[in-house]
Amino acid sequence: MSNEIMSELRKDYIYNLMIKGEREDGRKFDEYREITIDTNVIEKAEGSARVKLGDTHLVVGVKIQTGTPFPDTPDQGVIITNLELIPLASPVFESGPPREDAIELARVVDRGIRESESIDLSKLCITPGEKVWMVFIDVHVLDDGGNIMDAASLGAIAALMTAKLPAQRFGVGEDTPVPMRDVPVAVTAVEIGGTIMLDPSLNEQSIAGTKLTVISNQDGGLSGMQKSGVLPLTTEQINYIVDISIEKAKELREKFLEI
Amino acid sequence: MEKKLVIPGDFLSDDVKLADEGTYIEDSKVFSSVFGIASLKNQIKVVPLSGKYIPRQGDLIIGIITEVSFSNWIVDIRSPYEGLLHISEFPRRIDNSEMSKYLKVGDSIMTLVKDVDSIMKVELTLNDQRLRQIKDGRVIEVTPSKVPRLIGRSGSMIAMLKNETNCNIFIGQNGRVWLTGKEKNLDLAARTIQKIEKESHIPGLTDRIVKFLKEEKGIPVKGPAKRKVEKEAVKKIEPEPVQEMTSEETATEETPREEAEEPGKVEENKSGGILDELLDK
Amino acid sequence: MVKPEKLIENGIRLDGRKPDEIRPIKIKVGVLNRADGSCYFEFGGNKVIAAVYGPREVHPRHMQKSNSAVVRYRYNMASFSVEDRKRPGPDRRSIEVSKVSREALEPVIFQEYFPRSAIDIFVEVLQADAGTRTAGINAASIALADAGIPMKSLVSACAVGKVDDTLVLDLNKDEDNYGQADMPIAMTPDGNITLLQMDGHLTREEFKEGLEMAKKGCLMIAEMQRAALLEKYSSLIEGEVNE
Repeated sequence: MSNEIMSELRKDYIYNLMIKGEREDGRKFDEYREITIDTNVIEKAEGSARVKLGDTHLVVGVKIQTGTPFPDTPDQGVIITNLELIPLASPVFESGPPREDAIELARVVDRGIRESESIDLSKLCITPGEKVWMVFIDVHVLDDGGNIMDAASLGAIAALMTAKLPAQRFGVGEDTPVPMRDVPVAVTAVEIGGTIMLDPSLNEQSIAGTKLTVISNQDGGLSGMQKSGVLPLTTEQINYIVDISIEKAKELREKFLEI
Repeated sequence: MEKKLVIPGDFLSDDVKLADEGTYIEDSKVFSSVFGIASLKNQIKVVPLSGKYIPRQGDLIIGIITEVSFSNWIVDIRSPYEGLLHISEFPRRIDNSEMSKYLKVGDSIMTLVKDVDSIMKVELTLNDQRLRQIKDGRVIEVTPSKVPRLIGRSGSMIAMLKNETNCNIFIGQNGRVWLTGKEKNLDLAARTIQKIEKESHIPGLTDRIVKFLKEEKGIPVKGPAKRKVEKEAVKKIEPEPVQEMTSEETATEETPREEAEEPGKVEENKSGGILDELLDK
Repeated sequence: MVKPEKLIENGIRLDGRKPDEIRPIKIKVGVLNRADGSCYFEFGGNKVIAAVYGPREVHPRHMQKSNSAVVRYRYNMASFSVEDRKRPGPDRRSIEVSKVSREALEPVIFQEYFPRSAIDIFVEVLQADAGTRTAGINAASIALADAGIPMKSLVSACAVGKVDDTLVLDLNKDEDNYGQADMPIAMTPDGNITLLQMDGHLTREEFKEGLEMAKKGCLMIAEMQRAALLEKYSSLIEGEVNE
């Protein structure tokens, strides 16, 4: 199946609204859609979260089990992030192995968590060189309403924050929370005709020439970025997006990810 | 009760002669084949609450060009089946190499289903001066099965809507609705149509919509003088979408009081005739 | 996990149910925006979500049937749905489950109404707790109706099994793991069986009795499926009246 074709009329409509300073759903340019996050929705998983970001709906499950460390990091646990754009979630997603979009999304979510050092990997070591905790973060997209990136990132961190190391089940002591020390938050902006807007809806996303995701930490530092799309951005635009993203991440963190 | 919510497999009647759309017959009994609203008055039929548009010859619809091939425009008509608009069905003679100059991917057209064969090959035409590319206004989408309710009995709902919102409205049988008018009026019309779609199965629809429109416009009592001025302004808008009529409507709600003095009425009767003209050819 | 000593004691199962009782069911219709029809179905600890797209164009084209729609069913388990993380993607089990589930629904769908098209059914198991295929079929049948697909009726599914030499309806995880037999069925409200699988050991008499038990289970589920569909629209009606 091909990408969805959007009528020129609809594009014009959104474009004209933008010129007037408006968005299709009445939001301000820097405003997110309504967000709800429910945690512990999958009892079988060690941690889980369901995120609704506007019409985008996904479930993140964290499975944790013991395994062998990588030879070059014998005293560190392992994080593996996977995301699938299953055909249930959109008429344009297909069955089969993940394609570049899904892999890009998974890798950016992974990067945010890994590079922010939000999980203390050394505390995931059970026996150096032999046994460590393997943390699998699986993002299951159920409904694509645009900006899966930010929803997945919020879900992954919310699921991790409620996850437990199942030590009892694996006979290595008492269950403990996953050792978290930072809360990275991804904020995605799109550029349409020179205007920057946050949290693109599906329509905005498909018109936009390019997207920029900025992942920032509690101290306002950056731990991951990804530009996605063929159109270039100016330095001014990028600087603006970075500034606004850090502010917005702070707001989202305080509102939805308070421990 | 003459109308009720039914699910597939619900028994409807013993009188197989009355069985109509949305039903099937087994062992001399009539059952519902869809999840929808059953009406048992004259014919026994069930109008589904959702579902895809299935094209029929003579339907006036709105399509979006998705591909330009050697001699056909391939048109998304919100159906499992794509529409084919052959180069010869364009109103004027054009060369294959120029097709994208006239209609390109993403363009919207008001078109007519010229023919549907047994394997659902759908042929479209623009070969009538009232069919055209849609270049302005807004196109919104509703569930195709709700199109008759949106039109209303003898066009009453749509006439009221046009009058109250000062918009021109064309409803394609495939559930795409073309609105033209002032931006503010378009917003109101779009919101109202969404409300009609959402509540079409609840009795007393027309009254609720009349009330909704009044509240939205913040007009407790109508000011006739003001309305007249606005109406004249709207008439200048080109092109004027035509309004299709349907004879399938079986809505039971009361007709609104305004209907008698409805100026959109004349236009509708005229455009209802377009369909007949086209089919007579 | 260790096998419990007894799975049924004084006619009561470990989870407190009587032999002919089904687990609690929670149903919500129309939960997804993009899909043409959808349903969330909880059946005991099972959490499944079904989406229907279609009828729509068939890709690849060679799968088209000139005189009817093709029905496709994809049963998929989320990696986190089970105790030990499952590798993403289809395996032999999920392919078999998809096939028999599709065949459980095909008899009720008026496929001939939509030549050259596809009706796609996607079932995602978010949490598995014995009986995912029956939960999936129950959800999918509602999602089909929600998508406006013409059907003869809904289809309901339920398993029967044998534990400690007793026939029990709707096996839970322990009963599934350590029981003597498991037999999922699906049927239409008028009693036509559209899915039948069995593994384990049953006598001929047990089979016949078990089948009747499962049929009763399906009828109970059918009532809940109906109620859930009607609820999607009736709640709106009440809300409006109160306004």
